[in-house]
Amino acid sequence: MRTKRLQAALAAVVVGAMFTMAGCSGGGSGNTGASGSSSAASAPSSAPAETSGAPAGGKVLNIGINADPPSLDPYASSALVDRYVQNSIFDKLFDLDKDGKIVPMLAESYEISPDGKTYTLKLKQGVKFQDGTDFNADAVKFNLDRYEEDNSRRKNELKFVDSVTAVDANTVKIQLSQPFSPFLSILTDRAGMMASPSAVKKYGDDFVNHPVGTGPYAFVEHVSGDHVTLKKNDAYWNGAPKLDEINYKVFTDGPAMVQNLRSGQIDIASDLNGAIKLIPSIKDDTANFTIISESGMGFQGIHLNVTKGPFTNKYLREAVDRAIDRDAFVKVLFDGYASPGNSPFSPGSLAYGDSDKYAKPDPDAIKALLAKGGKPNGFSFKFQVGTGTAAQQFGAVLQNMLKPYNITVELEQVEFGQMLENGTNGNFEALQIGWSGRPDPDQNFYDFVVTKGSQNYSHYANPEVDKLATEARQEQDPTKRKAYYNKAMDILHDDVEYSYIYHQNNIFGFSKKVTGFTYVPDGIIRTAGLDKQ
Amino acid sequence: MVFFIRRLLLTIPILFLVSVMTFILIHLIPGDPARVILGQEATPEAYAALRHQLGLDQPLIVQYFRWLGGVLHGNLGMSITDHVPVSALIAQRLPVTIELTIGTFLVAALIAFPAGILAAVRKRTWVDYTGSFAALGGMSIPSFWLAIMAIIYFSVKHHWLPSSGYTPLSHSVSQNLIGMILPCFATGVRESAVLMRMLRSSLIDVSTMDFVRTAKAKGLGEARIVLGHVLRNAMIPVVTTSGLLVAGLLGGLVITESIFSIPGFGRLIVESVFKRDYVTVQGAVLVSALLVVIVNLCVDLLYAAIDSRIKLGKAGEA
Repeated sequence: MRTKRLQAALAAVVVGAMFTMAGCSGGGSGNTGASGSSSAASAPSSAPAETSGAPAGGKVLNIGINADPPSLDPYASSALVDRYVQNSIFDKLFDLDKDGKIVPMLAESYEISPDGKTYTLKLKQGVKFQDGTDFNADAVKFNLDRYEEDNSRRKNELKFVDSVTAVDANTVKIQLSQPFSPFLSILTDRAGMMASPSAVKKYGDDFVNHPVGTGPYAFVEHVSGDHVTLKKNDAYWNGAPKLDEINYKVFTDGPAMVQNLRSGQIDIASDLNGAIKLIPSIKDDTANFTIISESGMGFQGIHLNVTKGPFTNKYLREAVDRAIDRDAFVKVLFDGYASPGNSPFSPGSLAYGDSDKYAKPDPDAIKALLAKGGKPNGFSFKFQVGTGTAAQQFGAVLQNMLKPYNITVELEQVEFGQMLENGTNGNFEALQIGWSGRPDPDQNFYDFVVTKGSQNYSHYANPEVDKLATEARQEQDPTKRKAYYNKAMDILHDDVEYSYIYHQNNIFGFSKKVTGFTYVPDGIIRTAGLDKQ
Repeated sequence: MVFFIRRLLLTIPILFLVSVMTFILIHLIPGDPARVILGQEATPEAYAALRHQLGLDQPLIVQYFRWLGGVLHGNLGMSITDHVPVSALIAQRLPVTIELTIGTFLVAALIAFPAGILAAVRKRTWVDYTGSFAALGGMSIPSFWLAIMAIIYFSVKHHWLPSSGYTPLSHSVSQNLIGMILPCFATGVRESAVLMRMLRSSLIDVSTMDFVRTAKAKGLGEARIVLGHVLRNAMIPVVTTSGLLVAGLLGGLVITESIFSIPGFGRLIVESVFKRDYVTVQGAVLVSALLVVIVNLCVDLLYAAIDSRIKLGKAGEA
């Protein structure tokens, strides 16, 4: 009798173990029972690194990032995620303010010669790198010369730099071969990041594992695929930071990042684009979390190959472009957490013009275009998209939007590296690649549209557009620049070598414990002013 | 001893074949690391320069033997994308996954043994049906779903356990173990179902044998018969299954590792494949092949320990 009861109990335990989870899932969202006090005391947080300089009980901020940063050395970096971490370690010659305006950072002031070819920078004085090396004109020259080397990923950004001269300890003269108005905005990113010359010389190629800048937080360790730990730079020139330690933690899975924000393992989720559907679960918990969602500087859309396949015909390109309902696209794919658009420039950009507006699809006009293109009964094309779920959904939405016009979309899922290869070689009919965006319009435009441009995957060639794009990058006057861009976009909207669909949003999730955050339109979190209650 | 030496010698051609296969496969996948590393901002010059720098412009056969030469000197090479020795990456990641594997197996065994024994002893009763039904459920539940549910319940809702991360054992044993509970549980539940069914059927097979009837006739109690005699005789297929399970886990925990953000070995391989980091993939696959060989060797040794009639090294064995 007793053994019977024991067995029953045991069986119950086994069944319970297997089904506990199923019974108390709470459905994943709408979790009303979330406790209001997610404190580090109740949830064991992952311990800081042994080498960490953070004092016990110090303030530790954990930031979720969506990939492992491949290279923390600005010289070798090409991934967006690198810039999150780099912006804490390295200061730049210039930075962007909350309105996206360029402001001096390590530079104190600057002058541009009337011909637009000579930039004279006065530097901030008394600044030191985290290893104690002095920051001065020689350090600026050292960095810019290094970024121009053959193996540097910055070489292309600085290709108009002829020479860099240290005039005196605090003055640098940069001579360009031609006027280049995006130059200062390029110095707000990796090409403007100042690395310690003595650390670069000491570590050589291994500097990537020992990055040293003048920034608010100094590098401690990088465990590949897991986290990067930084510690407070007490000697920071702009006042000591308030946090003792920052951990950038890698979550390749979007939903996992959300759950870790909710459980208190991270204080900031730096990018929620990978878990759009879960945003309401954070948003509803207004007592503990804030969501910030702002239109970014990049764009997403479809390259249409003008050299082979159906899209050699301009009218078929136009038909596809006009059949896309951009509002519906954003609603379906992003629940509204993206901004519909028809332009390489976000609405906040100086280059944004009237032709960048978009209209609802007009079936009669689309049918007329198909007839003009010689395909009144529709046609089919192959569409290469990435391998993720989001890319699949993108493809499915496009399929449905084009179906009413008998335009058949054959989806091919291709890995990112391969897509770049196919884009470069023109091995595709339609290709879904977008761009994360840069502050200056030229950096979202020139290489994408000029003949043989490095990102002109559509293989579009139009001397008039080339001329306008060149004039726009050499012109100093913003009003005139805008006119060039608007004129070029008029042509491109008619030619549709690329169908612009939307601008990704920068979407952050914050624990209410985090204070001192200022949103910068490039979507990168500046940690210097952050604090944690 | 002879058995050992023979097995170890056999390992060499196996590893060689694995390395050749891996090399061919990874180079067959379109796309190359230079593209992945440079991303969208690659100019043709930068692309060509990087390929040259990485030695990717050499003929494949040259690339392979250059790599093999390094391996024979005990050097697995430098990761293409991470600027660190592959051996360092593996040394960092493998212990994590080994720990996760052991934990997962323990969870699986702790559930499977009592459940399997109970189901076998009370076969075709409600106990058995409940156990089998639960096992079917356990097998059917994807571990990633269970993992996410566990995170929502134990971390988000109650803050009992951390939802991610890994603390090295050297840093804090308690933190490490606390962090391992959820991932081991989420994967262990599913694996336990496989083990339990294997154990149940094996026990039922053995319990019809003559020696069991003899033991019963001698008046031994049920518990003594099952735990003392039947279980040991039923262990051979269970050990085989366990070996396969452990070998599979060593490379196959990538989903668990991703959900719990654990820097494990499985993730290293998958990430390296995506990044086309040929050198790391080759090194990691070589090491995992070696691990599978070692696990199989351990399984053979266990056979001998369980059943003294099995003599290692006899023809037809191993």
